Amino acid sequence: MKKKLMALLLAGVMVVSLAACGGSSTNTNTNTNDTPKNTPTTAPAETGETKSTPEPTATPTPVPVEKLSFSESPELEQLVKEGKLPSVENRLPNKDDIYVEQVDATGKNLSIGNYDDTLNLSFGGGSWEIYRLGFDRMIAFNADGTYYANVLKSYEHNADYTVWTFHLREGMKWSDGEDFDADDITFWYYMMHVTNFDTKASWTALKDEVTGNFAVLKKVDKYTVTWTFENPKLESAFITNGDFKWCWAPEHYWHDMIPASMYVQNEYWENTGLSDEQVLANAKAKGLDYSTLKDLGKQAAYYYWNVSGMPTIAAFMLTTKEGNNSRNSSLCILERNPYYWKVDAAGNQLPYFDNLYLNKYGDVSISQLHFRSGDIDILGSVAMEDIASILADVKDCKVYTWAGSSWGSYQVTFNYTINDTKYAELFANSAFRQALSICVDRENVSEVVSNGFLLPGQAAPAEGGFGYDEEWAKKWTEYDVAAAKKLLESCGLVMGKDNYYDFADGTDLSVDFLAYNDNGADTIYPVIQKYFDAAGIKTTLKSLEVSTYDQLIDNNDWVACIGPHTSVGGVSLSADRQEPFVPIAQLCEWYGEYGTYYQTSGERGVKPTGDMAKLVELFEQWKAETDRDKREALELQIYELHKKNLWTIAYLTSAGSYDLVNEKIGNYANNLVSSDLFQYAQIVHYFTLYRAK
Amino acid sequence: MEENANKIDDMHENDPKETNGKSTPSRIFGQVREFFKKDLVSYITKRILMFIPTLFLISVLVFFVIQLPPGDYVSSEIARLTTEGELVTQADADALREQYGLDQPVIVQYFKWIGDIIWTPTDSQYYRLNHSHHNWKYSFKFSKNVWDVINERLATTVIFTAVIMLFQYLVSIPIAIYSSTHQYSVGDYTASVIGFLGTAIPNFCLAIILMYLSYKWTGNSNTGLFTPEMKVNGVHLYNFGELCKRMIIPLIVLGTSGTCGIIRSVRAQMLDEVGRQYTLTARAKGVSERKIIMKYCFRAAINPTVSGLGGILSSLFSGSTVTAIVLDLELQGPQLFEALKAQDMYLAGAIVMVQAVLVVIGILFSDIALALLDPRIRYSGGGR
Repeated sequence: MKKKLMALLLAGVMVVSLAACGGSSTNTNTNTNDTPKNTPTTAPAETGETKSTPEPTATPTPVPVEKLSFSESPELEQLVKEGKLPSVENRLPNKDDIYVEQVDATGKNLSIGNYDDTLNLSFGGGSWEIYRLGFDRMIAFNADGTYYANVLKSYEHNADYTVWTFHLREGMKWSDGEDFDADDITFWYYMMHVTNFDTKASWTALKDEVTGNFAVLKKVDKYTVTWTFENPKLESAFITNGDFKWCWAPEHYWHDMIPASMYVQNEYWENTGLSDEQVLANAKAKGLDYSTLKDLGKQAAYYYWNVSGMPTIAAFMLTTKEGNNSRNSSLCILERNPYYWKVDAAGNQLPYFDNLYLNKYGDVSISQLHFRSGDIDILGSVAMEDIASILADVKDCKVYTWAGSSWGSYQVTFNYTINDTKYAELFANSAFRQALSICVDRENVSEVVSNGFLLPGQAAPAEGGFGYDEEWAKKWTEYDVAAAKKLLESCGLVMGKDNYYDFADGTDLSVDFLAYNDNGADTIYPVIQKYFDAAGIKTTLKSLEVSTYDQLIDNNDWVACIGPHTSVGGVSLSADRQEPFVPIAQLCEWYGEYGTYYQTSGERGVKPTGDMAKLVELFEQWKAETDRDKREALELQIYELHKKNLWTIAYLTSAGSYDLVNEKIGNYANNLVSSDLFQYAQIVHYFTLYRAK
Repeated sequence: MEENANKIDDMHENDPKETNGKSTPSRIFGQVREFFKKDLVSYITKRILMFIPTLFLISVLVFFVIQLPPGDYVSSEIARLTTEGELVTQADADALREQYGLDQPVIVQYFKWIGDIIWTPTDSQYYRLNHSHHNWKYSFKFSKNVWDVINERLATTVIFTAVIMLFQYLVSIPIAIYSSTHQYSVGDYTASVIGFLGTAIPNFCLAIILMYLSYKWTGNSNTGLFTPEMKVNGVHLYNFGELCKRMIIPLIVLGTSGTCGIIRSVRAQMLDEVGRQYTLTARAKGVSERKIIMKYCFRAAINPTVSGLGGILSSLFSGSTVTAIVLDLELQGPQLFEALKAQDMYLAGAIVMVQAVLVVIGILFSDIALALLDPRIRYSGGGR
């Protein structure tokens, strides 16, 4: 059973496609939801089809929106009959502007689902989880890194990328029935963002790349706005960096919660004249009980999805029911938005489920027990070693594979900016890294750690992903202890009496690895330690609480680490966050204080030299380059430097992750990519899921 | 104290009224009245005054111990946000520290915290917004007022703890009496073996075993106190059965661990009392065995157990945290654990303070109960 499962999972991983991640979909100047991959011109023909194991098998047929007749959930239908809610036609945007959801994030046609009561999920209670389960962004991503207008009807830029235009959907409404229009964008921008009320002024998506000034936002008409920058604002800086989780706020809800003290003069909104205390009192009256304006801004304006009672345009919204209306509740409930602006190919207003029940359990094992008992429908990120035993108990579920965007499992990296110059020089020598890489028998590690499931590998893009290079993937992976020892000696190390190498001056060398709890270091370290010992490298491992770990990293008080908190690489430089690829932030362990130097414009940190400095140079060129081919070439040059230096080494290939899903749940996409850019679970599109009857 | 007790014992044994065994309702009422006539009020006042330095010391310990590990709430928060994929700059971190006052020395933070809990002035913004003079601060972890967070689970925790305690006493005392009156019988040995097993097996381990068995036998692990339906609609008569079902495993796990201790203690005391002279005298005078055991021996034997009530309360409140996490019980223990992990010192401090107050009150009640049980016990010092 176990071998069969492994084979199944392996097959799943093999078919994961990460191709075409490097380019964006916007070769033309205009993007609408009529053209992107996410909204093909086809849809399942068999309206209302239900199957026990739903798969989209219908013949693709064009869906003329104007011919669709709309339907809604029985719960909403009842409210309409009782006169408590307008008809579905009056709740949706104008016909031409309705979003017809026809494919999942991998481009596969969606089945037509059926309405149901509750989808039960396991929930960790993190700040972002509700966002990922129920919310939408202006511009959204497909699993291959392409993007499309989502909340927006369309967007475009001028020839020199200095003006971006957003077109909104006419007739679109907030969850309380108020119009969603350009005023909600100007209000958010001038009253909440530019003022730093939302505590996110450091976000650079809406700032000029050169001057750092905020873009000028203009309301063209009720459904059109433009963003004007002093210098070209390329897609990577605007969309990939921005991705527009924030870009709007319900003005009619917030208007009495904006303090006069934070007002910035603008042509659209006058100063509210409200004192800080009045704002807090008004907020309290709406159930937003915060002691400071910063808390109000952070918790309600920034994390707006965690606020109960605030109008939303998302598919699901937090219930107002006391006891279930907080992400910290043991049962947090998301309810359908009756004004949601998407329909399926048959005209059924989405989402299909009335509620998402987010069950907060104390431990992963408890979640697994509840999944076994059938209390929850989807179990996310299941550890590979647990899958076989769960499948043995639960027959009616399917395994869905997520490709990881990580460049390999169990990564090891060193502190290149360590204060001790002897260590700094040693780590800077690629022969040392090579020695630590080749002294380990990866085949054995693979067997012991993952039953052979994770293949021997290096810290490199996965096969099928952007930048994959077979030579790189196999670089320094041959097991050769004798060669490793020679390399160590070439670094000037001398064998000591204790059979461990010392520095040339006779002082002890000890590579003290740091790790944080549950990051996998405890699993792999005992296995690789014996190889390090055999090669004459003395090592230790200290596992710490994650915050303590981070603090040591931030304080530059570390030597090396296993399982870095933010590892090198990702989907691609164009289609992912850029910080893991180049040393531009105080974030990744592999570049240590070099990143701090860039982030603080040289005020703190260590000035990068050599290839680290070249990475930054190439990144600056890449940012400024508008030609797509040249940008890709620059990106590949950055990859070449990673291949040359292997600042991070890995022993096994990337693990990916696995979701177990009740087989009656339809439209759950397979082969998704787990990435921050895609906001992890958001790319599942929970509003399209349904339970087959 | 031991000497006093022996003296009292001797007096007690020589009191013909006591050994007569006559106990009418009016006499019991008289005893209660007599009891309250004692210097109880001054005793309670004294104890309440003692609370103040006790709670002060606890608050100091809690606040400073929570801050002992490297880092603070902000570093924990940054770690969490980074795990969630958010980029937090040093400037963000500094701003957060300033906002929460974490850039101040710990001693300043402490006095600000405790000062605001004791009395927040009328002219403060907090008072104007909340109309309360007691500012428990804002929980970093839960993003809301600390007292609101505590309130969510306080009632459940108190009720749950009371039920567990009741269970422990109702189960353990009859078994202890049986064991002591049937020493070295099969029943005694059985109770002892079960008792030792209960004490020896760690609670969390027993909890996991029972959850597994529950899942295997019923298809449901029965973790957590409340079903999703109860969490939405509340506990009513129609779903009370389900709640009881979910109480079985916690009762067995937490109940039995304490039960074993009580059985061993009461049994040993009972065996001691059964062999005393006053028992022999009562038997010689023809008092029924049942009356000797229940009225005299048991009353004397139960004293140490009743006086240990505070300790049991304390262990149930805080000692059950690991079990509550394993069993996913919606109690304050897991909440405290989360607060500690996040270095949310205001919440953790407040929870520990509330628990300390409850335990101190529990100890006070146990002292009063002790005096009710045993009229020899007095509250003022010196001999009679």
